[in-house]
Amino acid sequence: MTELHASQEAVPDSTVPGSTVPCSTVPCSTVADSAPAEEKATSTFPEDGPGGRAALSAKVPAPQTNWDPADPGGRPPQTPPVNFGWGRWAWRQLTSMRTALVLLFLLALGSIPGSLLPQQGQDPAAVQNYFTSHPALAPWLNHLGLFNVFAAPWFAAIYLLLFASLVGCVVPRTFRLAGAARTPPPRAPRNLGRLPHSASYHSALAADEAVAIAAAALGGKRFRLRRPAEGDKTYWVSAEKGYLREAGNLLFHLALLGVLVSIAIGGLFGYKANKLMIEGGSFSNTVSALDEFHPGRLVTGSDLAPFSITLKGFSANYYTSGESRGQPSSFDARISYSSSPGAPAKPYDLRINQPLNVDSLKVYLIGHGYAPEFTVTDQSGKVVYDEATPFIPANTGTFESDGVVKVPDASPTQLGFIGVFVPTAVSVNGVLESAFPAPELPAVSLLGYEGNLGINSGIPQSVYQLDTTAMTQVTAKPFLLQPGQSFTLPGGRGKITFTGYKQWVSLAITYDPGQVPALVCGILALAGLLLSFLVRRRRVFVRAAGTEEGSVVTVGGLARTDAGGGFEDEFAELVAQLRAAHNEGHSVGPTEQQSEA
Amino acid sequence: MPSRLVTTVKGRKRAAVSLAAVAAVLLAGGLWAAQASGGTPNGETYVDGNPSAVLYDTGHRALVPDFSGTTLAGVPLRLATYRGTVVVLNFWGSWCAPCRSEGETLAALSGRYAHAGVSFIGVDENDTPTNAEAFEQGFGIKYPSLNDPSASIAQAVSSAVLISSPPTTLVIDRTGHVAGAIFGTATYSVLNTMISKAMTGKAGA
Repeated sequence: MTELHASQEAVPDSTVPGSTVPCSTVPCSTVADSAPAEEKATSTFPEDGPGGRAALSAKVPAPQTNWDPADPGGRPPQTPPVNFGWGRWAWRQLTSMRTALVLLFLLALGSIPGSLLPQQGQDPAAVQNYFTSHPALAPWLNHLGLFNVFAAPWFAAIYLLLFASLVGCVVPRTFRLAGAARTPPPRAPRNLGRLPHSASYHSALAADEAVAIAAAALGGKRFRLRRPAEGDKTYWVSAEKGYLREAGNLLFHLALLGVLVSIAIGGLFGYKANKLMIEGGSFSNTVSALDEFHPGRLVTGSDLAPFSITLKGFSANYYTSGESRGQPSSFDARISYSSSPGAPAKPYDLRINQPLNVDSLKVYLIGHGYAPEFTVTDQSGKVVYDEATPFIPANTGTFESDGVVKVPDASPTQLGFIGVFVPTAVSVNGVLESAFPAPELPAVSLLGYEGNLGINSGIPQSVYQLDTTAMTQVTAKPFLLQPGQSFTLPGGRGKITFTGYKQWVSLAITYDPGQVPALVCGILALAGLLLSFLVRRRRVFVRAAGTEEGSVVTVGGLARTDAGGGFEDEFAELVAQLRAAHNEGHSVGPTEQQSEA
Repeated sequence: MPSRLVTTVKGRKRAAVSLAAVAAVLLAGGLWAAQASGGTPNGETYVDGNPSAVLYDTGHRALVPDFSGTTLAGVPLRLATYRGTVVVLNFWGSWCAPCRSEGETLAALSGRYAHAGVSFIGVDENDTPTNAEAFEQGFGIKYPSLNDPSASIAQAVSSAVLISSPPTTLVIDRTGHVAGAIFGTATYSVLNTMISKAMTGKAGA
């Protein structure tokens, strides 16, 4: 308060007695109280720096507390629009159609790497492969989040902005449309002859009677009517039809919001998971069993549907001749599943584009490969490894696959093998290659290592890669094994047997509770759009002026949007009907005209 | 449109409504942050301030649903028969690196509490019996492990405490309720603390 008194003393020639704050020291906060001034202020704010207004109001610490209730202006105090202009400007930019389009374009652009590069969420094995084949480039791409595009922060930034932009655009529009759908038709114009469609004729009826009959006829055709106010001495009726257009538009916008909300629901409450299964294996839908689990923001691991799946067998068929030789013709994963522990197991054939629906989630078959089976005995002769080990296809045309075998419990030292599996072995210039994706002549080529696998340190490592930094190679050259064959490591270090192979499938489990609402909203949006395109909003006005013989009736028509045309015919028919109603039992007058402007 | 000036107040109202709508959306989106950074709910304390080692106060302990299975040695085992003793339930796999780093801890603690009324049970997940037995022999683990390649036990127990990827270790009190949980590698001191706390609790508490 002392500051205020000081400022008052500093401006002794204040012309407003009784007002504690002279208006001249607060040019903005008081002037802005009137709407036109504020409008001007907001439209010219870009010149008005962000600090400008704040600096002005800062001269008076709390202007609103000093507002005098006796002020003749009589307006309540308002918070000075400090920095509000910039916020509003930013909001307008964000919610503008242009920004939304740019963001939509960016979203599409951002999705491109998601379809060009392998994605962690869909095919982690392919990502692994990419890292091996592009050791220099892959880490950089990984830093940019390009292996998990749809979870990358920059992608989230784009869609959150787009979301905000769309919501900020659609919500106000919805209110406007709701208002437009409720507005009654306007007063009838004075000169109906100037309207695009008009007609006039004589009637033997008095003007008020003629208008009443016209109103009844139009009302019967489900036009929305407006009559002159009480005490108005003119005779007219305004009628409007086609409000469904606005309703359709409203439905479209609301449904669009619904789509956004559905997507948000899917993102918050849905989840995605991946699981690699080997023939004969089974898994329960729980975090512990899943290879990858990507929960929505509001999903925890205990929300997972408690189903389980057993992979009975998998078969892939390939074209054996022609141009598409080696291309797959069909995949078939024979599974059995139970929707909850203890529930009876049901068989199902899982195929590409034939996902399993269980507990309102979907299980897709997204990949397959070979898992050669090995047993390893260590130096003491004890079997320390017996497992079908999934190998990752390096060449999806021939299914030449890479993998490693880690034997952490071999003694005296851990053993490791880097291997290549070929389903149909051929030798090309002495190099092992695969000629065909089907297992016609399966073989593995292995390279043996001993030493420290690095796995006992507790740091999780890829099961598809062997860290050889603390290991030494024990076989000079790769050795080749066919099913049933063994190789004894030099120096009595142990023996590895290639006992056979199984096939594996990778499954994607997705739960998207927003999918059905999104579909329903999408359909509603389409229906609303069709309504707004197909329904015409049209107005018909009828005026009657009294004459000696009765009245002159003028009818005017206006299609606000002549979508599809055809209003002329409707108007002509309407005029004919009105005329007939107005001249029942009377001869039609000679002076008549109908015009099309 | 001359109505621009006239509708300022209305426009402001609309702007407020749309702002509110966006705020609601952002709030919903922001919930995850609150969830992620949420502190300890009532009845939970962290051992040594480690958020992956949780102690539950009596009254806030979830009942572990009963389960049964076959051990790697082929012997049937049912959790309910362990009522009245403290049970250390360890989910593991021979392929899992953190499980290998806690192998010695589990072997040592199971030896230490062998005659103190504490039973250790392993649940071997996503593994083969041969590999698992090689692991147990390598680390000198004597207690039984259930063979559960499909992780169905983890699925059942998750209704009490979420069992994530192995390793996860639960300390179950004499009444069959979860007294403590370690999500990740168990260290000797943390697991020892949990076992002692679970043992001091009276039966029926």
